[in-house]
Amino acid sequence: MTATNALPERPQRRVRGRVSFTTVISWMLRITIVVTLLASAVSSVLKDRYSIDQWFDLVAFGITIGSVYALIALGYTMVYGVLRLINFAHGEIVMAGSFAGFFVAASLDSTGALNRYPILGFAAMLAIALLVSGGIAVLTERFAYRPFRHAPRLAPLICAIGVSFLLQQSFRGFFGTGLRSYPDPDWLMPPVSIFGFDVPAVQVLVVSSAIVVMVGLYLIVHKTRMGTAMRAVSEDVDVATLMGINVDRVVTFTFALGGAVGGIAGVFYGLVFKQVHFFMGFTPGIKAFGAAVLGGIGNVPGAMIGGIFLGICESVAPALLLDGFGIPAPHQMRDLVAFSLLIAVLIFRPYGIFGERLARRRG
Amino acid sequence: MNVQPILQVTNLHVSYDQIEVLRGVSLSVDHGSIVTLIGANGAGKSTLLRCISGILRPKMGSITFAGAEIGERPAHLIARSGLAHVPEGRRLFAKLTVDENLRMGAFRRNDRRGIDNDREHLLEVFPRLRERFRQVSGTLSGGEQQMVAMARALMSRPRMLLLDEPSMGLSPIMVDFVFETIRKINGEGMTILLVEQNASLALQIATNAYVIENGAISLEGSGVHLMDDPRVREAYLG
Repeated sequence: MTATNALPERPQRRVRGRVSFTTVISWMLRITIVVTLLASAVSSVLKDRYSIDQWFDLVAFGITIGSVYALIALGYTMVYGVLRLINFAHGEIVMAGSFAGFFVAASLDSTGALNRYPILGFAAMLAIALLVSGGIAVLTERFAYRPFRHAPRLAPLICAIGVSFLLQQSFRGFFGTGLRSYPDPDWLMPPVSIFGFDVPAVQVLVVSSAIVVMVGLYLIVHKTRMGTAMRAVSEDVDVATLMGINVDRVVTFTFALGGAVGGIAGVFYGLVFKQVHFFMGFTPGIKAFGAAVLGGIGNVPGAMIGGIFLGICESVAPALLLDGFGIPAPHQMRDLVAFSLLIAVLIFRPYGIFGERLARRRG
Repeated sequence: MNVQPILQVTNLHVSYDQIEVLRGVSLSVDHGSIVTLIGANGAGKSTLLRCISGILRPKMGSITFAGAEIGERPAHLIARSGLAHVPEGRRLFAKLTVDENLRMGAFRRNDRRGIDNDREHLLEVFPRLRERFRQVSGTLSGGEQQMVAMARALMSRPRMLLLDEPSMGLSPIMVDFVFETIRKINGEGMTILLVEQNASLALQIATNAYVIENGAISLEGSGVHLMDDPRVREAYLG
């Protein structure tokens, strides 16, 4: 007792009080980034290169693609929540959904049914994509991840990358390397007017359906028995088991749910970019993973907000931030913006925007 | 009365990696009794409980609960068959409220009215929890968390309760309250297997007691009997 009292103050405090070299560099870096970006934004706005209509288009497109990222990100974040595993095959599961939706749409289109029954056709695309992607996700977990459940983290991660290539190459084998065009039904043609701006009908359809899916998912996670079990498993697997929860079933359910939402996202992605390809899952997959990290991985509302934030950033930032530098064709730099954002988040805020909201009061 | 013990552990061996943690442990718990397992840190007490509730798999030996072999049964099925385990360090769902934690304990039950009645009864046993009912459980004091953990386990209407170090880290007043409650729950007919470092209190309420040393049972007898044993007095009662 006396020995501890004899120490007047803790030595660590003084070390922490001194500013280290790394901290200075890191802050200088942050300030430089912010100042450069601000300067560029100001110069871009002053140049008056874009009209208000164009800005609105960029934001609308950002929200559209962002809500697709949000749906994909939900699959990453839910799986991470229950298993602490990053399912790197998720992008390919999205691609599978996109293909499934494409085949349904193409066969309906060839008979003209897609134009005659828009709601039924759209529902059929989503339903098949959801089943295919959910099924592939469940099978992936059962055969590729479950054997590694108690192995060190690296083993299932490597296996996930392997599954990702396996899916890519099988789709390549079955359906070839060419681009296929999504059918363009008439009901997606006329633009919709929002606040006096014309917005393509696809974007309105995608955003509103994505909102419905997200609300549904939130209700499943928070109001159903299985959702409650999911939350219990993500907090403490052992104790969830002690409550009589069958963890294997919860994991299967989580993959099915994440895969299904990913399949729906795949159809939306196909509708927005109008094409499918065996490698198309990779980029949105990685970006959505970034969005999940941005929102704090394991956090369901975080993934939704992170996805939309990323979508708006990559859509608006090239015009707002890069055009000011006089870079030619800044819109081809979308992916650069998205991945820079991902790296910046990992460096400066690795726990994400909502990562620290652990204990909060509830009514 | 049922003559067969409700829980019977026979010659149990458990290893972590290559190290043997339990080497041939046998013990039995009779219906309606409190059995205490005392021993030093690392003697294998928690390992034994984790093995009984199925979180760990035994390498050898048998565990029978209510007449059925459960050594190979998946943990969630053991829990469903009526064995409730209050783990070391309470392990509440920290982000959930007290109410949600209690509901989680009743996860497998469908009788709404029965759940509400049990919850009401447990709030009478632990009046403090009524005040904290809608509070996030991670913000409670250690003693309150222990109450939630015990109430959560009881919400499943178990046939037997495994308690792992319920007094750990609690204030003396809270320790007394917890032991008083254990006695009360036992008085209502609950069978209890209690693992404790606080040997004197544990032996006082125990029907039967075991001492575990280096993964093997070194002494057994009635609680009163062990309290007078010179070896126990020297090693655990100081």
